[in-house]
Amino acid sequence: MSASNVRVTSLGGGRYRVNDGTRQWLAHGVAAGDARWVFFDGGVYLIDAAPPARRKARHSHDETALASPMPATVVMINVQPGQRVAQGDLLIMLEAMKMELPIKAPRDGRVNAVTCRRGELVQPGVPLLDFE
Amino acid sequence: MLRRILIANRGEIAVRVIRACRELGIESVAVYSDADAQALHASLADHAVRIGPAAPSESYLLVEAILAAARATKADAIHPGYGFLSENAAFAHACEQAGIVFVGPPGDAIERMGSKIAAREIAHRAGVPVVPGSIPADQSDGAIAGAAHVLGFPVLLKPSAGGGGIGMKAVREEAALLPSIAQARREASAAFGNDTLYVERLVEQPRHVEIQVIADAHGQVLHLFERECSIQRRHQKIVEESPSVALTPALRARMGEAAVRVARAAGYRNAGTIEFLLDGAGDAARFYFLEMNTRLQVEHPVTEQVTGVDLVRAQIAVASGERLPWSQAEIAQRGHAIEVRVYAEDPSRNDLPQAGPLLLYREPVMPGIRVDAGVVEGGQISVHYDPMIAKLIASGDTRDAARRRALAALRSYPILGIRTNVPFLIALLEHPRFVSGELDTHFLDREGAALRSALATEPPAEVLAIADALLPGVEADLRVGQDAGRDADPWSALQNVRV
Repeated sequence: MSASNVRVTSLGGGRYRVNDGTRQWLAHGVAAGDARWVFFDGGVYLIDAAPPARRKARHSHDETALASPMPATVVMINVQPGQRVAQGDLLIMLEAMKMELPIKAPRDGRVNAVTCRRGELVQPGVPLLDFE
Repeated sequence: MLRRILIANRGEIAVRVIRACRELGIESVAVYSDADAQALHASLADHAVRIGPAAPSESYLLVEAILAAARATKADAIHPGYGFLSENAAFAHACEQAGIVFVGPPGDAIERMGSKIAAREIAHRAGVPVVPGSIPADQSDGAIAGAAHVLGFPVLLKPSAGGGGIGMKAVREEAALLPSIAQARREASAAFGNDTLYVERLVEQPRHVEIQVIADAHGQVLHLFERECSIQRRHQKIVEESPSVALTPALRARMGEAAVRVARAAGYRNAGTIEFLLDGAGDAARFYFLEMNTRLQVEHPVTEQVTGVDLVRAQIAVASGERLPWSQAEIAQRGHAIEVRVYAEDPSRNDLPQAGPLLLYREPVMPGIRVDAGVVEGGQISVHYDPMIAKLIASGDTRDAARRRALAALRSYPILGIRTNVPFLIALLEHPRFVSGELDTHFLDREGAALRSALATEPPAEVLAIADALLPGVEADLRVGQDAGRDADPWSALQNVRV
């Protein structure tokens, strides 16, 4: 089925009736800047209209796993400088919005330095430890 | 009866208490941080007082600021909700000293039950089983290993100063014992600055089943049956239900009586919860006292739905010095209720909490559905607080009816502008082992990854078609002529404002 077979009727207030030729659905959508959000049959979809280059940049940022993904508090530091760790070992436990966020070793390696303190509020993107 | 209650909390629980006050003809006072100046709870209450900046430590956790707000508004009582100061004995004492009624247990009952060791001792003396375990006075490797041998494998090593699962180590065989002791000690020291270890028998695949209790100031202590809360991740409950499929009438009666005995022994008053680990199911199952939560629980609505008791109203009545109006025999469980917690989090990124705007937020309205929320469309989920958006509670005559209602409601619950766990909850409620009720506290450890990976990521054609309609300019064109007369409705015109 291609999108061209689907009929969309805006009902106002972010409500949409979609008909795929076999049945119809009530769905919801809203746009904010580049992002278009759609709720359809219990699924939530974010369609990002940003150019692919920008999207890629966002994803690659997620791979720098040794920084907090969001403002968070350091609740536990499980390693010491010089320590060898195996992939998946818990290095640091963060807490944000009352949720635990484990920072785990992305691969086998060695912790050169720990650059955060227990109890510290850390900002996204700021390295928590030096790992190689 | 109380005249004016200050609610020392925010979000859905503040809204819940404000609504109960309104029902009872009691004035409500909200407190809010700068991040919550526009929040629902701060608008709904009869009065609202700013108590400080966004950080909880400078607002919702600040005893002095809250007491000052109570004095300034001449509130005669404070309801603490859950979290924040609700289990802070010093706060309860400070209220008592200020002549303000604390809508909760006496400060010393909070203190007694707040220490896991003291609470365990109280339960044990009341004849209620506790998980066998000890803190070896001699903390040498040999003595801790010895304690483990006395208990028999599997055992759990826990930091005695800890909580929330941090630093716990399960040991299932002799070979792993000494390395695990070393690691548990290191983690305990790193997390809590204290490496004292507690050794406990490990109950494999337990259920978490808790009993709601309520006690008045006249010696009446009642239980309101169980809640099954085994669906947890990282020690946070996601789904709660009542009744539990694991309980038989005889086991239910035994657990209820045990909970009442613990509450009595603790000198408890007001609403509280006794948490148990349940090993097995049916008449032969064993249960162990875990801890007491000396407050109203997040999941209290499932009990309200199956017993018909309004727990917040009962809390206020008890705090006013009234007698509970029922006997144990008059409390009955009817039908089934399931609560799911809707969180702002991204299931595709390890449940990372999300902060952001609720661009579109429409609660489902249908038979058997209750939504307890503290947010409105256009509001924000703030980075400063718990990411729970709402609780959706489905009731039905059977477990399956409640489950189906929860599913239907989640499919009609659009929340846009922020990632939520709604798709994950739908997948969870459809999981064959959830459907059959085979639950234990490790359910999500085992099944979570598969549930997450099964979530649809590729938008279907319907979604792409709607996305096209949302492109700038297109939406406006589509609207023209299709909604004749709509502009006459100022409400829908308002909702069409693009955010």
